[in-house]
Amino acid sequence: VRIGIDVGGTHTDAVLLDGEKVLSSIKALTTEDVGSGVINALEHILSDSGVGRDQVEAVMLGTTQFTNAVVERRQLSEVAAVRIGLPSGNGLPPMVGWPADIAACLGGHHYMLEGGTLYDGRPLAQLNLDQVDAMIADIAARGLRSVAISAAFSPMNAEPELEVAAMLRAAMPDLLITCSHQMGRLGLLERENAALLNASLLKFSGRVVDSFGEALRDRGLTCPFYISQNDGTLMDAEFVRQYPALTFASGPTNSLRGASKLTGLDDAIVIDIGGTTSDIGILQGGFPRESNIVIEVGGVRTNFRMPDILAIGLGGGSLVAETGESIGPRSVGHKLVSEGLAFGGATLTATDLLVAAGQLDLGEDGQPVKLDPQVLANGLQTIQRMLNEGVEKMMPSSDPLPVILVGGGAVLVSEKLDSASQMHCPEHSGVANAIGAAIAQIGGEVERLVSYRETPREEAVAQVSDEARATAIAAGADPATVRIADIEETTISYMAAGSTKLRVKAVGDITRRGGEA
Amino acid sequence: MKKLGSESLADLSAGAVFLATGGGGDPHVAQLVTQQALEEYGPVDLIAPEELDDDAYVVALGGVGAPTVSLELLPSIDEAVNTLRAFEEHVGRKVDAVVSFEIGGGNSLIPIVAAAVMGIPVVDGDGMGRALPEAQMMTYPISGVLPTPAVTTDYRGAVTEFDTTDIMEFEKEIRQCALSSGGMITSAEHPMSGRQLKAAIVPHTVSFSIELGKILRMYRGNAHRIFDHLAALFAKSIYGDIHHLYTGKVIDCSTRIIGGYDIGEASIAPFTGGDELLKVNIKNEYLVASIGERVLATVPDLITIVDYETSTPINAERLRFGQRVTVFGVGCPPFYRTQRALKFVAPQCFGFAMDYRPIETLSAADPPPIA
Repeated sequence: VRIGIDVGGTHTDAVLLDGEKVLSSIKALTTEDVGSGVINALEHILSDSGVGRDQVEAVMLGTTQFTNAVVERRQLSEVAAVRIGLPSGNGLPPMVGWPADIAACLGGHHYMLEGGTLYDGRPLAQLNLDQVDAMIADIAARGLRSVAISAAFSPMNAEPELEVAAMLRAAMPDLLITCSHQMGRLGLLERENAALLNASLLKFSGRVVDSFGEALRDRGLTCPFYISQNDGTLMDAEFVRQYPALTFASGPTNSLRGASKLTGLDDAIVIDIGGTTSDIGILQGGFPRESNIVIEVGGVRTNFRMPDILAIGLGGGSLVAETGESIGPRSVGHKLVSEGLAFGGATLTATDLLVAAGQLDLGEDGQPVKLDPQVLANGLQTIQRMLNEGVEKMMPSSDPLPVILVGGGAVLVSEKLDSASQMHCPEHSGVANAIGAAIAQIGGEVERLVSYRETPREEAVAQVSDEARATAIAAGADPATVRIADIEETTISYMAAGSTKLRVKAVGDITRRGGEA
Repeated sequence: MKKLGSESLADLSAGAVFLATGGGGDPHVAQLVTQQALEEYGPVDLIAPEELDDDAYVVALGGVGAPTVSLELLPSIDEAVNTLRAFEEHVGRKVDAVVSFEIGGGNSLIPIVAAAVMGIPVVDGDGMGRALPEAQMMTYPISGVLPTPAVTTDYRGAVTEFDTTDIMEFEKEIRQCALSSGGMITSAEHPMSGRQLKAAIVPHTVSFSIELGKILRMYRGNAHRIFDHLAALFAKSIYGDIHHLYTGKVIDCSTRIIGGYDIGEASIAPFTGGDELLKVNIKNEYLVASIGERVLATVPDLITIVDYETSTPINAERLRFGQRVTVFGVGCPPFYRTQRALKFVAPQCFGFAMDYRPIETLSAADPPPIA
């Protein structure tokens, strides 16, 4: 059996899966320290199902904590932004074009150094050791602990970044350093942005990984634990410690994959309604449709591969205007259970509309809600209108598609949406995220330096793809489901002409160990 | 005379990437620099060619090199301004207005940066109506404007002067200069009088690009949603009609920096599988689109690849495996269909063994459904 856990801003969800069967699930509140919320959820599903701890093969975690940290500008460390590449790029320093508030969170410390290489491998400028020394002294004086290093053309030649990283480490061994060549491809600003966000999360990621680890050990779970990343594959926990930014879109990915698993539908529109937003995504062939365009995270441009998600400001805790004619984007969030009318509070929220309409029964916690009939009618209509408009924007064509509702706020939808062929709100839809985490895929990535002079390109791509497939299968992917998810080529500037860094990623479903267990 | 301020920049830039047919350089970094310039120095005057004095002294300004380089060697206000100043010093006179080489991509914005800082107008028009990889392909030299005196600056600020009056020799020299200076330089070239400019320019393309960007923003969505709006806009422009050439998924894309250009090709497959692959040949720009032996469109007509979901145009240096895309073709401005222009921009000029045939004779007979 496997355990899937999703730690969101409001709820911590957990599921216990035997193969594809849900043995137990729980939706618990996320706690301030995260760890005790995870422990609570684990405790519930283990005792509820009666499954022994030693039967658990793996724990898969999905978490939006790192995304939320960036979006809400919390838990971000100040970062020294070191860019190697002067005299080029002077006009566009690090963090140019960032929203002022998040730039301020990172402290605005930037250091631009002479150095780096050109596209052809020749030096852009010589590294200026006086500048490096001055930078190191200043970083020390400011007491900065996290550093992001970028250099022009570093995906083609990582040496300048590595050289400066080594000098920084020699001077201050405890520094947390992210180099941009590890974060992405050509496109200096986006790659540098990704490195900066990652570096600003390193301290937090250390704490999160530790607290997850402790929570599991505390419950006597010694099996491996993984954290899901943007493309729906798993990373081991130590990797996440270094690359928290790779989890940015794992939340939507997991909820889409979970929705597909719960309904058996491969092509559908998925609406994940939470406390603050409704995230609309498209399933194609069982996988989230990816966005082609540059992705902003918390207003910062990055070049991560991410699912194409439209977030609209409508959730269970969204504030409803007096007339009912507008809802959100402000929300009471996790305070819904104290501030909503239906919970005895004084704020009219989207959830209260459903209670007033008699479409939602909160059980013993709930209180009746009385609303002016016109306000109620307007409010319900506003919910339908907002979702219809959102879905319309995301539709791949004018042909109706099934709509799958997941998330804690799925109850908000009472009628069929205009562009839906059918509406699905499957059992366990409230914990689709955790199910998505539990069925996350295994990836296999292979990077090779190849020479297209010696091996024709087509042959080289085929060879490295085969290796990537084999790596994924060796890591536990089911051979029948393995497909190539990404191919990336970067010309290597310092090598002979025709040298290319070829990186291929293959992914596949986890092989079920049911037979052996 | 119109004013061009930072509020139009996003639309101009989006329209410019559409017209860039894959090339022209990354517009995002150019947009950031232009934003800085317009915020610091205020809006620029956008002067229509017909408003320009016949005796005005105008110079064309822009980047030359491999677009991939623009993703890493970031442009700056100084590069555009210093190039113009170095040019003025070289010729010993003030420039009255600047004009773009090519409306496509980041090169549509570089003259605006210089114009903002120097307090001179930028001309509403350009020398290509799109983007093309080489100097002799511009309408300016084809119409008889001499390429020099010209100056370039590189990322270090090093100035190089050019004096040859032979356009092919000029292209060779300036390309060599770009190659040996990090792959991208800024050039001020093709100085001309207002009278010469009026006869040589593709007019009003800056305004058109802003209109196009506005359509892309307002009707953001897939080809179903946007096609009719785009068709209506192109129908009343100096361009020919827009055609839907293909929709599918990028299954292979490879370009390399060779001889100062991004060179390679992309293959796009139908969503539903099948072997009717669309092949797009790239030399900085998307040059030829074909399915097997059947050619759908060739340079100088425009081939543009957009994100399938949003119709956001995608530059060749950002085209990647797995992207879902729609491919559009647009008839080029009539200037490029004349015999004297085709001598420089027909498919043969790029090494393809085929004559130019207008897109409407290739595609219109058999338009594919929009996915």
